[in-house]
Amino acid sequence: MLSDLDLAARVAGSDDQAAFQQLVERHQGAIRGFLRRLLAGDHGTADDLAQETFLLAYRKIAGWKGSGTFSSWLHTIAYRQFLQFRRKHARQQVMAEPPDAGVDPGHAVDAGIMLPQLMRLVSTEERACLTLAYATGMTHPEIVEITGLPLGTVKTHISRGRQKLQQWLKDNDHSLPTAGGDPASEAKHA
Amino acid sequence: MPDPIPEHELDQLLGFREALPADAFVLDVMHRVRRERRSRKLILLIFGLIGGAFGAAGALLLSGPVARFFSGLPLTGTMQAVLVAVAAVAFYGWIMNEDISLDT
Repeated sequence: MLSDLDLAARVAGSDDQAAFQQLVERHQGAIRGFLRRLLAGDHGTADDLAQETFLLAYRKIAGWKGSGTFSSWLHTIAYRQFLQFRRKHARQQVMAEPPDAGVDPGHAVDAGIMLPQLMRLVSTEERACLTLAYATGMTHPEIVEITGLPLGTVKTHISRGRQKLQQWLKDNDHSLPTAGGDPASEAKHA
Repeated sequence: MPDPIPEHELDQLLGFREALPADAFVLDVMHRVRRERRSRKLILLIFGLIGGAFGAAGALLLSGPVARFFSGLPLTGTMQAVLVAVAAVAFYGWIMNEDISLDT
């Protein structure tokens, strides 16, 4: 199986569509998941931004010099797309709403339903740092590179975000759902 | 008062990754990539044709004065000038194709 670097070189060198398709297939889950969490469950907008992310990556792929992973480069683009979107829609403070009452306290619900609700409890930066650290298993320096935040701030966002979630879950007597999927949390965020 | 949420359970929840169906998404992205490629080619073709047409018109208009200019020059001087011009173009081509790295 070809590495991301080889595939990117093919796209940049000979405009290889099949190679780019492989890159999209490989990374779409992580990018869409990341944006879905940033947008706290707005799946339609998240997928639109993910498409824009891949399109921008296709245009700029020659500029990726292979420093850092292809995944972190894509996440950087996705995060910038998200920030741009947020600036444009700053007046519609939809994302600042409190969690939906549809989540019944005291009952374990599916992690896929509960997570977007929980993400609304934390700030955008906390959301980004938590998702990158736990769902994508990125290291703190990688998160620094993606978000452009200082290392200390990234650590603070992660710890404060966790505290907020823990407190809310405790206050609302939520039992945690069993997260089936593919947890990458044991990753390298130490 | 409920028990505090165990740390590892919250970690596991935050690390949850939903398996998203890829087919439709990938098709949409590739469709947009192909469309962009087509429009880029079309723009290049249109501007190339416009450039070519203006170039041809300019060459026609200038052919008379250029011919008159060169007919007045000595043959050896013209050949030397052409040689210098070709060398300059070759040097420019070589330097522009070099991947100059700014990394230390």
